[in-house]
Amino acid sequence: MTHVSVTVDDGHLAALDGVVQGLRARGMQVDQVLDALGIITGSAPDGALGALTTVAGVASVDEQLVHRLPPPGAPVQ
Amino acid sequence: MDDPRRPAVPEAGLPGGGALTTGRRVVVFGDAPGGDQQVDWARAGVRDVADSRDFTDGDVPPETLRGAGATVFAALGIAVVAADDGQLRALAAASSRPVLSVSPELVHQALDPEPGYVLGYRDGVADLTGRLLAPGGPATEPAARFADTPEATWGIQAVRADVSPYSGRGVRIAVLDTGMDLAHPDFAGRTVTARSFVAGEDAQDGHGHGTHCIGTACGPRTPAGGPRYGVAPEADIFAGKVLGNGGSGTDAGILAGINWAVTSGCPVISMSLGADVMTVHPPYSAAGRRALQQGSLIVAAAGNNADRRSGDPGFVGTPANSVEILAVGAVDQALEMAYFSARSLPGRGGQVDVAGPGWEVFSAWPLPDRYRTISGTSMATPHVAGLAALWAEATGRRGLELWATLCQESERLLLASVDAGSGLGVAPGEAVPATRGAA
Repeated sequence: MTHVSVTVDDGHLAALDGVVQGLRARGMQVDQVLDALGIITGSAPDGALGALTTVAGVASVDEQLVHRLPPPGAPVQ
Repeated sequence: MDDPRRPAVPEAGLPGGGALTTGRRVVVFGDAPGGDQQVDWARAGVRDVADSRDFTDGDVPPETLRGAGATVFAALGIAVVAADDGQLRALAAASSRPVLSVSPELVHQALDPEPGYVLGYRDGVADLTGRLLAPGGPATEPAARFADTPEATWGIQAVRADVSPYSGRGVRIAVLDTGMDLAHPDFAGRTVTARSFVAGEDAQDGHGHGTHCIGTACGPRTPAGGPRYGVAPEADIFAGKVLGNGGSGTDAGILAGINWAVTSGCPVISMSLGADVMTVHPPYSAAGRRALQQGSLIVAAAGNNADRRSGDPGFVGTPANSVEILAVGAVDQALEMAYFSARSLPGRGGQVDVAGPGWEVFSAWPLPDRYRTISGTSMATPHVAGLAALWAEATGRRGLELWATLCQESERLLLASVDAGSGLGVAPGEAVPATRGAA
């Protein structure tokens, strides 16, 4: 499974539910629907990422990045 | 009556370098409280008034400008007037519109390089080559311009928060980081809304980074245990925990935090986080754009992946490399680039937009330490976020207008724009006109 962020295009911001259904139908486990941003996060089987991009209203599917701070004692943060 | 914010300009073309003036005055009107925008020119004895509204497309021909007693530019609320001081006083007294300023009309010229400029340039180049070729090279360390005092940290002084009449009162600042030490005595009595987007952790800061950043953006005016270190001491604090106590987090939590901040009506979102990834990450571009549309400005750290001591300028990583997110670089007490501060990427989006104090920054830290001094573009970012709150309070501007104001008002530095953007962010001073832009 890969954690992904799905960015919805401007034309589907008012119809996020339909996009969510399409993503679920193609194997995505949806964790959050961020309605103010038009972004849907969750996870999907490694082979299913290409299929997610074919859902109507999807602008991009991106693997989630990990952001890491230095340890608290580091002089440069 | 002359504009007190500007030094007096010598009248009518004095020799010896004074600016050339025409003898006419430029009068700036404010908005009349009752909406009656009429100016009683006759009462002041000014005749032949030309109004731009009487000309096609508001385009006043130059011969009219030359001959008229007054030329009114209605769309600008400005008039050029041939009148003496007594007439101008009568005008101010008789007018329903307040007169904001009266200044001599200057003669402007195309900027040809003068011989003096060219000679100065030649001397400068000669001096520079002399110093570069001298034994030992250009090595002299620049003298520190700012230092921490018992009253305020060097960063608070550098961004002029200590002399600004604004405090961020009523403006919500979201800091998306490792949370906040909710028991820190410096924040007792403050409006704090804390929320965790990290599974299995509450909003309490188990790292320190988040408390430090919140301190810089929103710390109190007079902390009991040291100098002032907070830019916007009366802002409302929205502490979103998107990085765990171990210091790491994923896009899901960060995007959820942005969504929360936007729907909570925070005009400023501070994100001292990033990944050393050159490619623009589409979710942050969409989030930044949609946040701006809803009146929230995302301010993010340019990144610490440079090592300028060994000639590596680094690059702006994600999310700060999204064109829709304001990227902040770090300067030191001499207003020179901090060695770790990342440089703009070529191409669209990856640029540093503005710089803030990010070297040896004193701020809050979770108890029992209470305070700590650390460095990073992470520390520069909340300085700029706090400044954004001050400008939001002072001007009412939001979103892209607020972004433009920060950059427009920043102090230009003798640094490369790829490193420092438009310069050092600074606080609004006394004389901010109360213009309110569209949301």
